[in-house]
Amino acid sequence: MATDGRSDGQAVDRGTMTQTFLTRTAAKIRNLWRSKRTDKEMDREITLHVELLEEEYRHHGMSPEEARVAARRTLGGTEQARQMHRDARTILWLDDLIRDIQFGIRMMLRNPALSVVAILTLAIGIGACATAFTWINGILLQPLSGVAEPMHLVTVESLTPNGAMVPNSYPDFRDFRDHLRTVEVAAFLPSAFSVGPEGHGERIWGEMVSGNYFAVLGVQPEVGRLFQPMEVPDAPGKSPVAILSDRYWRSHLAADPSIVGKTIRVNQHELTIVGVASPQFHGAIPAVAFDIWIPYMEQSALNGVPLWMLHDRHDRNMLGVARLKPGVTFEQARQEVKALAERMAVANADVSEGMSATLLPLWKSPHGPQGLLLGPLRILMGVCTLLLLIVCANVANLLLARATMREPEFAARLALGASRLRLSRQVLTETLLLTLCGAGLGLAATPWLSHALQLLLPAGNIRQMVFTDVRPNFAVLAFTACSAVLAALISGLVPALRVGRLNLTARLNAAGQSRHAMRSRVGSAFVACEVALAVVTLVGAGLFLRGFRRTLDINPGFNPDHVLLNQFYLSTNGYSLAQRREFCRRLEERMLGAPGVTDVAYSDGIPLGFEPSWWEELEIEGYARHPNENMNIFRNVVSAGYLPLMRIPIVEGRNFTDQDNENSQQRVMIVNQAFVHRFFPESDPIGKKVHGFGEWFRIVGVAADSKYHYLGEPATPYFYVPFRQIYREDMNLAFYVRTRNNPENILSILRTQTRALDPNVTVFDAAPLREFIGASLYPQKVAASLMSVLSTLALLLAAVGLYSVMAYSVAQRTREIGVRMALGASRAHVMRMVVRQGLAMTSLGLAAGLALALVLARGVASISFTNSAMGSSASLMGDSSTDPLVYMAATVFLYFVAAIAALLPARRASAIEPMRALRAE
Amino acid sequence: MPTPISILQGTLDLMILRTLATLGPKHAYAIATRLEQVSDELLKINQGTLYPALVRLEQNGWIKGIWGKTESNREAKYYTVTKAGLKALEEETQRWRQMAGVMDRLLTEEP
Repeated sequence: MATDGRSDGQAVDRGTMTQTFLTRTAAKIRNLWRSKRTDKEMDREITLHVELLEEEYRHHGMSPEEARVAARRTLGGTEQARQMHRDARTILWLDDLIRDIQFGIRMMLRNPALSVVAILTLAIGIGACATAFTWINGILLQPLSGVAEPMHLVTVESLTPNGAMVPNSYPDFRDFRDHLRTVEVAAFLPSAFSVGPEGHGERIWGEMVSGNYFAVLGVQPEVGRLFQPMEVPDAPGKSPVAILSDRYWRSHLAADPSIVGKTIRVNQHELTIVGVASPQFHGAIPAVAFDIWIPYMEQSALNGVPLWMLHDRHDRNMLGVARLKPGVTFEQARQEVKALAERMAVANADVSEGMSATLLPLWKSPHGPQGLLLGPLRILMGVCTLLLLIVCANVANLLLARATMREPEFAARLALGASRLRLSRQVLTETLLLTLCGAGLGLAATPWLSHALQLLLPAGNIRQMVFTDVRPNFAVLAFTACSAVLAALISGLVPALRVGRLNLTARLNAAGQSRHAMRSRVGSAFVACEVALAVVTLVGAGLFLRGFRRTLDINPGFNPDHVLLNQFYLSTNGYSLAQRREFCRRLEERMLGAPGVTDVAYSDGIPLGFEPSWWEELEIEGYARHPNENMNIFRNVVSAGYLPLMRIPIVEGRNFTDQDNENSQQRVMIVNQAFVHRFFPESDPIGKKVHGFGEWFRIVGVAADSKYHYLGEPATPYFYVPFRQIYREDMNLAFYVRTRNNPENILSILRTQTRALDPNVTVFDAAPLREFIGASLYPQKVAASLMSVLSTLALLLAAVGLYSVMAYSVAQRTREIGVRMALGASRAHVMRMVVRQGLAMTSLGLAAGLALALVLARGVASISFTNSAMGSSASLMGDSSTDPLVYMAATVFLYFVAAIAALLPARRASAIEPMRALRAE
Repeated sequence: MPTPISILQGTLDLMILRTLATLGPKHAYAIATRLEQVSDELLKINQGTLYPALVRLEQNGWIKGIWGKTESNREAKYYTVTKAGLKALEEETQRWRQMAGVMDRLLTEEP
């Protein structure tokens, strides 16, 4: 209906227009599935119409024949009328789409082998991408769940004068909390607890939190309530309460609805449960699940930490998380924090001189798995993208082969009046069906694959604590759907275009050589692409492997082999300081008596572990301190057997002995060579006095330098103090046993001896030291492993692609080869010819791939990963992005594989009997 | 025979509605015949235009098709105009008359 409304009737027209539109659309949608019935009705109507016309013409005097012809002509082509009727009846594109989908499904079922192969390869490609995205989503994009408005949350890091990021102390946190206007700061300390009745303690990870922790994060309680800032004062012992995680509540307490008010036994103390956090909330560290939250001030009761330590500004062990107030930008907040920290550094110059503080987005913080995983995850995403591209190239090749077989069908449809666009759309729809099936398969495997995230992390605490929320969420689904669509576009583009450009006359031409040549050319182009991508992955694997090996070659300065490491948490068993020392001494005695054990030692910190290192401010006799010089030196508190166990030589003076204990008059200290170099360049350090830990120490020995925090670190001053002289409640306990053989064998003995001393103490996560210190190397190792796996897959796919194209080409050239052989070419000659063709195709891809690899390597070489808990970083690839050895090796390997892939068709070609070939058409 | 006039889509709708409103239920052939009659053979209805128009009108809810039997006992689909269709007919007729008036004035105007 003409709808140019006039002003007088416009309002009415609009109303009718809308109503009419709605009625029409509803009718069209209804017609989508009534088509058969309406078709029949249409037929009956038209038949009647034609009959009546015929009658009229006969009435007018025409013969029956003429009448029939005239009737038909008057009415117009019946088929076209039917088609126009249909077009008017439904929503055209939707109808077409349904038809395409039905046809596509029939096609898939008709070629089961091809469909299965395509779907499987697509499942691998898309599944890998979906898994990688799940990790990236859980760790970088939405690191914390169960909190309100996570994009306004940041972490608070204290900065040392030389830029290393360290945790905060409780007094510092109080100053942040009380004086900052643009952010609200909360603090927490991840900690292990022994939860459960006497003798059946279980190791549970939790956080000791400040009073405003839950308020800042915006967590909702599932049962009961959460901590209020008021109820958790800055004084200890006033709030023996706890919040449990949903996970723990369900697994250990059977989701008891009356849990509020009941008590739970933590570190031999009873705490009252006030609530359960919402199921999505798992703590303030990305990708780590905590099960219990306890006020920070309860530390003195639970861990035996003396009160003065909780208020020691120098004792930096709290991680900070803050929320930006509404309307505040990140930069504004950062400036305020920096200014305040600098004022605090001046006000507390005795402990905080030169320190500063900053804010970081959640995923950039070096504390926690995200620091370790950022680099590898980026690499992983790139690797998965490459894999998907290779998969798409392979699928495109398969589709092209099938399209060639279907050319008669397409030609017929074109002749009958189908538009080229319609045919291309159909090919794309079929491709989309394949990719959606593949995506569905891949998505189904994703939860199971996600658990493999643990493999990306080093052994030890971090690996146990990490978890990924593997429930499929909207982001992952959307990502997978987009990947499927993208894959369909990439794979289906060329076959769809080819169909669109199908030349009818050439098709009808009997000797369709040009068609085959074209198909060969396109197929070759695909193979070249696959080869190029395979080269890129080969080069990548080689470069990462070399970088990794180079780092391994750095001498750590101590010998980590054959050493078993176990970390004890005696505070969770209520041990006092003296009891802890006694325990260590007794255990050392027992282990020394075990067979195969050569050394036993224990210490506070672990070298090259992934935990922030401790330092102490020193005053050194005879050394004039420069103004503003940072006199904080890293240290380790060790037993007498530590340096010998680690095979760190004493270059001057002596090692600690059993006489250096709590009863001796003089506190002693061993320093390293870098320490001497800095503070005693001209004089002998032995005998000099050093002040730290509130006492004066005497230097009795100099140890050789070694690596303490990460393998690539520069020479760092370091000192050791004896365990029995300086051991504080807030220190950790790492126990080492060196054996002649495999350290794993000693594990059971360690367990037995520990249980004999105290059944409540568990040997929980003992690991060989070499594995543990690999924390700083894991990203590189992982990158190398990932790339190796990928390059194997890529090579395989490229080889298969090459083989299929060569086989097709040989089949097409059967006549030609027959002619050649009839004219006298030898079998060897034919084989050489085919292999040469294959290698030529490969060379093209190789050249492109090498160039691409060079460009990419330079980009990737700048990716770095955090390799220590202090925020220092190293490059994933080392300095070797243009190592010629790797490129040459990749080239040789590739040619080798390509030659094999081309050999099989070549042999078949050489086996052609000339007479048969010439006879066959 | 003078050259047949080609029909605009909107006007065909109007013609069908008017035919059904004045003559009562008719099947497709009868509508086509009637239109040719009224126009003294100037209008030649092609089924390519007639049937789509009938479908459209039916989808809009302006006519309704019911299967019945002709005098010669053959099955035919009879179309009747609905209330909404009558309303639409009225509006369109008004607009047509306005348009015709304007055209008339324009074409007979003296320069």
